[in-house]
Amino acid sequence: MPDLKTAVRIRPLDELDIGGIVRIDERISGSHRPDFWESRVMYYLRRDPQSSQVAEADGKLVGFMLGDVRAGEFGLEEPSGWIERFGIDPEFRGRDLGRAMFNAIAAHFRELGTTRIRTLAAQSDAVTGFLTRLGFQPAPLVALEMRVPGASQEKQ
Amino acid sequence: MKFEKITLEKKYHDAVEHWRRHYLKDYDSLLENWEKYFPEDEPFCLCAKLELGTPETVPVGEHAGEKKRLKPDQLTEEEAKHLLAIIRAQASTEFGSIQQHSGTLERAQDDEDRFWVLRVMAEELRHGYQMFHLLLSQDWTHVSGGVKGEEMVEEILSMQTGSHVLDAFNLEYDSFVDNIVFAALIDRVGKYQLTMQKACAYKPMADSMPPMLREEAFHLAAGVIPMRRWARRAAEGSPLIHMGMIQKSINKWFPRGLEMFGDERGGESNVRMGFKDMKNRQAQDLYIEEVRRMVRDINARFLRARFPEYTPDKVDQALEELEKSRGTHRGVAFDELLRLPDRRFFRRKGEPAFSMVGFEGEEFTDVEAYLRHVADHLPEAYLASRDLKNYFEVLRQVAAGKLTVAEGIMKMPKLKRVGGNCPCSRAVRWVMEEPAAPAGGRPAA
Repeated sequence: MPDLKTAVRIRPLDELDIGGIVRIDERISGSHRPDFWESRVMYYLRRDPQSSQVAEADGKLVGFMLGDVRAGEFGLEEPSGWIERFGIDPEFRGRDLGRAMFNAIAAHFRELGTTRIRTLAAQSDAVTGFLTRLGFQPAPLVALEMRVPGASQEKQ
Repeated sequence: MKFEKITLEKKYHDAVEHWRRHYLKDYDSLLENWEKYFPEDEPFCLCAKLELGTPETVPVGEHAGEKKRLKPDQLTEEEAKHLLAIIRAQASTEFGSIQQHSGTLERAQDDEDRFWVLRVMAEELRHGYQMFHLLLSQDWTHVSGGVKGEEMVEEILSMQTGSHVLDAFNLEYDSFVDNIVFAALIDRVGKYQLTMQKACAYKPMADSMPPMLREEAFHLAAGVIPMRRWARRAAEGSPLIHMGMIQKSINKWFPRGLEMFGDERGGESNVRMGFKDMKNRQAQDLYIEEVRRMVRDINARFLRARFPEYTPDKVDQALEELEKSRGTHRGVAFDELLRLPDRRFFRRKGEPAFSMVGFEGEEFTDVEAYLRHVADHLPEAYLASRDLKNYFEVLRQVAAGKLTVAEGIMKMPKLKRVGGNCPCSRAVRWVMEEPAAPAGGRPAA
């Protein structure tokens, strides 16, 4: 268990964070997905590095939150800040790192002139509680899905 | 990210477009494939971008707390001269890197890598354009020796690999490995310079930095991610790439990257005048630590690909063991991993210029033994270059006491423009500058 007094630094995402993100994801999900994260980190970096933030303790990545500002999707014409992926090293949970990263992203979204932050989470998902504590509320939009007609069950 | 977009006066815009047709031939292909490789990203814009809402006061130096300057004549003559040199050097690097990338771009094994580098080139063009805006939007003639903005633009557009201001932009690439390693190492120096210049007391310069920095983040990723993928392929036994190829390219570029910070003992005037917020050595130290982090990240990727059953902690442990023992770990030799050369290795500018310090920091007394050591650590194709031949000749003379270090630095040949404006005139030739007078010691500039 790391020392709770270890200073944590919140800073924008950079390209050297990929290894740390892969590690946190593996600790949470049990899957080693470097190719996936290389591709995703490249996406967020080329969009706007400051819309994604990471938490670092003793030079080691212990949390990440990836976001982006987009407009025109789902009929939402106004630019919205989107929080799309985040993870905290299990050993560093309970230290409000998620909130600290969120606050840094929210401040940047505010600078960009956006007035709404949006995200999607499964209703049963443990992260829903975290998002609610941050101030997220159910939106008037409804997330809908269906199986592609004719698609096989195995591919679901 | 609120910024103002500015287009240069038509004749200058056209001049940049003309230059682009020579050195960025695949530009149209980049635009045609933009949606495929960069979906959702804003289309590329050849324009200057000035960030809005940036700080109004000077944060460092003897003018700290004062209002940032908006025109060159609000700076002292010394300050304006100094800043003009920074802007010209910055512009030169932007155009220079495109010329370097263009030589080996077509050798990329993967289309994605190629289009990433193409975007890097296009954005470097925009950065050069940005510097032209700074040169052309104000009158600098009082500190340029009467040289007008348009003449400065003409001079920069006529530079070719060999005649740029900084050495890193005067070396040709030997393979596509150089395109990638250059993006990871030399663009990283660029990131440091731009970050330091965000503090700049001249507001148009400071306002130019944030949009350039956002683009630079992509450039660094366009270097590091292909290197990570190559490390994986090397670990899986691909005959097309091995860690030694990447290492030798690092050895070629890292010393030049260190020199881009300026002499380790300098940088005082940049801070005093409020143009940058760090001195040279301070910034260089941070850079070295960051490159060390990058090398470790790529090594970890290599080991994990070789041992997919390992946990991340087990990879760290194996890496630490290898670094300590310098032996082998389940068939992987320490020498297969990437390493950072000593900061004094293969240096020809700055504090350790022409000192004979090896890759590991070992000191040499015999110049021929040192030259063999340097050659052993560099890419084979680079050995046949004129650049290296001249470095070897000058080092022999410095070691023999026939030249001082300062004279040695001056002796490094450069391509100089000897007439003609259009880059297609190829109006440059190799020129060896003779020192005006013998100079003792190492330069502090």
